[in-house]
Amino acid sequence: MSKLKKFKNTQMLIATLPLVALIALFFIFCGVIQTYGYRLDIYLQIVFNEAVVLAVVATGAIFIYTLGTFDISLGASTLFAATLGVTVYNKTESLALMILVLFATGIACSLFNSVLASVFNIPAFVTTVAMMSVLSAIASQIITTDGGALGGISIPSSVVEPYSGIGFKAMLLIIYIAVCFYVFQLTKTGRRMKFIGGNPLCASLTGIKANKYTIIAFTMAGIGVGLGAFLTLTYTPSVTTQTASSIGMNIFIAIVFGGMPISGGPRSKIYAALVGGFSYMLLNDILEIVIDSSAAYGITQVISALFFMAVVYITSMNYRTQALPR
Amino acid sequence: MIMSEPILEMKNISKRFGSVVALDDVSLTVYPGEIRGLIGENGSGKSTISSIAAGMQKANEGQMIFKNKEWNPESMIDALTGGIGMVVQESGTIAGITVAENIFLAELKLFKNKFGLVDKKKLYEEAGKVLQEIGIKNVKASDLMGSLDFQERKLVEIAKVMMKKPDILVIDETSTALSHDGRTLMYGLIKRLKRENKSVIFISHDLEEITTVCDTLTVLRDGKLIRTFEKEEFDDDLIRTSMIGRELQGDYYRTDFEATSQEEVALEGKNINYGDKLKNVNISLHKGEIVGIGGLSTCGMHYLGEALFGALELDGGQVITESGKEIKSCHNAVSQKIGYVSKDRDTKSLCLEASIKDNIAVAGMNIFKNNAGMITEKNEKDYVQKQVNNLSIKCSDMNQLVSQLSGGNKQKVVFGKWIGCDSEILILDCPTRGVDIGVKQAMYQLMIKLKKQGKAILMISEELPELLGMSDRVLIMKDGEITKEFNRSKDLSEADVIGYMI
Amino acid sequence: MKKRFAKLISLALVGVMSAGVLAGCGNSNDTASAAKDGVKIGVLVADVSGEEALGFRNYYEEYIQNNYDVTFEYTDALESAEDEKAAIEKFASKGYDAIISLSSSDRAQQIETCEEYGVYYAIASGVLDDEQYEQYKGYEHFVGQIGPSNETEFEAGKAMGEYYKEQGISTVAIYGAFIPNPMHVYRAAGIIAGLGDTYGGTDDMNGMIGQIFGDQAVDPSKIEGDVEVVAYLQGYGDTTTDELNAAIQKAPEAFLSVGMATTFFAQTLAQNDIQFADIDSFTEMNLDSMTNGTLTYLAGKYSSSIGPVFALVMNAVNGNVIRDNDGNAVSLSQGYLVATDVDSFNEYYVTDNGDTPIFDKESLDTIIGDAVTYDDVKALVESK
Repeated sequence: MSKLKKFKNTQMLIATLPLVALIALFFIFCGVIQTYGYRLDIYLQIVFNEAVVLAVVATGAIFIYTLGTFDISLGASTLFAATLGVTVYNKTESLALMILVLFATGIACSLFNSVLASVFNIPAFVTTVAMMSVLSAIASQIITTDGGALGGISIPSSVVEPYSGIGFKAMLLIIYIAVCFYVFQLTKTGRRMKFIGGNPLCASLTGIKANKYTIIAFTMAGIGVGLGAFLTLTYTPSVTTQTASSIGMNIFIAIVFGGMPISGGPRSKIYAALVGGFSYMLLNDILEIVIDSSAAYGITQVISALFFMAVVYITSMNYRTQALPR
Repeated sequence: MIMSEPILEMKNISKRFGSVVALDDVSLTVYPGEIRGLIGENGSGKSTISSIAAGMQKANEGQMIFKNKEWNPESMIDALTGGIGMVVQESGTIAGITVAENIFLAELKLFKNKFGLVDKKKLYEEAGKVLQEIGIKNVKASDLMGSLDFQERKLVEIAKVMMKKPDILVIDETSTALSHDGRTLMYGLIKRLKRENKSVIFISHDLEEITTVCDTLTVLRDGKLIRTFEKEEFDDDLIRTSMIGRELQGDYYRTDFEATSQEEVALEGKNINYGDKLKNVNISLHKGEIVGIGGLSTCGMHYLGEALFGALELDGGQVITESGKEIKSCHNAVSQKIGYVSKDRDTKSLCLEASIKDNIAVAGMNIFKNNAGMITEKNEKDYVQKQVNNLSIKCSDMNQLVSQLSGGNKQKVVFGKWIGCDSEILILDCPTRGVDIGVKQAMYQLMIKLKKQGKAILMISEELPELLGMSDRVLIMKDGEITKEFNRSKDLSEADVIGYMI
Repeated sequence: MKKRFAKLISLALVGVMSAGVLAGCGNSNDTASAAKDGVKIGVLVADVSGEEALGFRNYYEEYIQNNYDVTFEYTDALESAEDEKAAIEKFASKGYDAIISLSSSDRAQQIETCEEYGVYYAIASGVLDDEQYEQYKGYEHFVGQIGPSNETEFEAGKAMGEYYKEQGISTVAIYGAFIPNPMHVYRAAGIIAGLGDTYGGTDDMNGMIGQIFGDQAVDPSKIEGDVEVVAYLQGYGDTTTDELNAAIQKAPEAFLSVGMATTFFAQTLAQNDIQFADIDSFTEMNLDSMTNGTLTYLAGKYSSSIGPVFALVMNAVNGNVIRDNDGNAVSLSQGYLVATDVDSFNEYYVTDNGDTPIFDKESLDTIIGDAVTYDDVKALVESK
């Protein structure tokens, strides 16, 4: 049984690696900022603001990824929700109504995806590809028509000013992660989702209704989108056609950086997006500071890509070593 | 017995996977015309040693001599060309192409016409001959591989190897995939090879089968060669004891020969129709009863198991429980306390990449959730640990991945999943398939215990001995219909039953 | 397995240790690196590859940086309002003195962020729309804006259209670049108006641009008039290859572009012998297109046209925040210069090249200093 013990140790180590990496990156980041003599307090806020939207949307997305499917329209949904939210605010001047619209839109987009997927039995990622184009096209239409020469639409910054503090955002983040943790870890729902992701056929033969959990997963992701759109607006109260555009891809990276297999299943972890999202942003900022970007455009992307592959290699290591022939 | 020159000598073979020793200094000699059985529990090394001979993997230490020459095959194809062919345990065919293309996969260029295209007609003709050669009748060379069932695929694989006329044929656990006529066909082949002075290495779990088929029998345990028995030394108990390293304590099958059950009908299928797989099937299962269903693997009995569990969309008929609830989906079935163990364990009954804990707990959450409906670590662990203990699942701990378990322990996990959540009705499709003898015994005893507790058990099996050994009633199916029903009795023999199957 | 395990542990240790080392050395060093050397200005850019953008960058990084005690840092391509805000915050954290913006996702927010962090801010190569200017002109750190206004963009397009109408051309193709980018919308509307055509029944600027924003493109079927627009395309050069080929099939007499045509299409247009016009900069590549290719009209800015903005920022950092006569942030409009042949092009190109920009050190020095006033700046900008 000694091989099993070793295997387990390796697995444990791999499981803690993302967290170790986050802590290491954090210290490196602080070190770099200090070395260059920049203002750490501002820089930490920047990282937080950059990462918080990603962490929230990606945490919602984990429910979808856990089922073994994925949704690439979440960035576009965030844009779309923010667009409708701003439009509604400008028409009604009601913050409450705006927030309602943000969440309703996020959930509606997500539900639409899942219902399409389950009613027509199309793989969810196919419907999300279509949704991505449709949503960003509609949002662009609204933004350019209403925004005109300004190139974007916005609400007065005073509206969201009270909610732009780091403390408030951190609180929202914690509440959302706590709710997700509860659903994911402490309810039948979360367990069943992981099981579906691991083996949908077996899940069905265990009496688990995949459609029901697909809808729940997309709803959770929709809430993340709504919250993400709200957090985006508290950072910059304007929406342009490129708002949240990087989120779609970054979700993927954050989840992998967080140590969760992109195929979902039982090894899914709800905190992966939180850990991975912050790690990724820290890494980006470190590279941005250390490497002179004017030397070569995209060099930071190349380095983070290499880092990304290293993470994938390490996290997949335990699955390869287990492949012992009999 | 046969005192000619050995055709294959494997000397002091060792094989390690990382720190796991799969083979430890094993020597094996095979003579021409010999049918050599290899038997042992899962993980004993019987597949490993034969796969080394057949070029599937390389030994870390040791030497092989085949036909008086040093033998170091680079690949299975290399080995097959050289004269050792192996029919593997897991399917080695490709689903998307035709049978003929599978058979001639490595040699399609032989069939290229002057335009460089494959001459389909010639290909099908040749493949047809190959199939005929070993007596496969209901598979056409032009059939798509994916349209064949498990048994037919296996037979095609055998044909593919036999076409090369190997000097040694290695058959690894193939018979568990074959029904009666498939086996008959295979036994015929083995006899023919023997007549031609060719050798066979035959690997099986099934003690009865292996002692019937083989001339000599080598027992492996934990990577070591324990003993080789000559035909005249064959003794079931002795072989079993050397396989598991201890005496098999207690009973194997049921010792009573009374058909017993309670009055209440636990589950009833009425006029079940499903394509041409199930035709007007009526079946009832009582509490405290074990009903066995037997037949050829294509007779529809596996569909019947799924139909009763609500996993099929029936064309007609209904499945009703004791309380009058109709089972229309797996979800219904599970909420009516029905559990289903699939024949296809790894793909249908388990989530391989999940832990033992996850697999067992998933069906029992309604039982161990706390008052607030929450799933707590402690409750879950207690629940799972109970199953692990009750079923003696061999594992380092419950967080071990199921994929790392042996076949028998995997099956125990599946049982744990359904027994833990108090299933009243168990539908077991080939519950002892690919399970070694020690676990088999445990399963049978468990079924007896469950019967006594008043659970209803439907056991679908391709192995007649266990059907006769365990069932209160045996139903025989053929072409989607139930053709005969036997009650449990001391006098019932396999010969009585087989006639209704074919 | 054992080896791999050890590898993992060492990897983790290396990470943690290097973190510690870096953090440690940071603490001991921080007084040394806090010392200021010269003025530091961050530049927000959305376009990092266009001819005009490269010309601007070259002017700041080569000419200005060599002649003044100043350091410029450019951002990566900023895609959205969030990117812009984060970039400003990063500059603020690095202790930068000022920000010059060439990026326009959300300028209102840029101004507010700079105000929040107490960093001087100026807009180069463009201006706010009137309403926004009214709102922010009193902001303490908003130094000002110098560049073509939206009306100027419209006029630049209009002049191009008129030029070809006078040449007697009856069919054209229009390239709308990155519509609905406002700058490109105004220019495209101007071109249509200049050709003497109407868009959706109007030739009024506001009427046209409103429709183009709504359509997110120029819809050729809505164009009516003497000069026929036979083809319209927009987007990045690589995505429009098929459309370009289709447009060439229609054999327009001229290909009128609102920007970036040289970068994307010069070669293909030359091969098909179709003359084209562009609004861009006086750069080497455009000169080559005019000399050897089919570029027949270029409305351009000097690469050094962003010089006066630098002067405004420099003054502000040094304590002389220049305000206009009403006490508001400076707002000056810069027009385009038009070259229709190699000679006129050369005139602008040679004079604004490398070491001898139009806004050279000598002229800038006249508007950098403690005593410089709004009128000095205005006079210099309008003189060129």
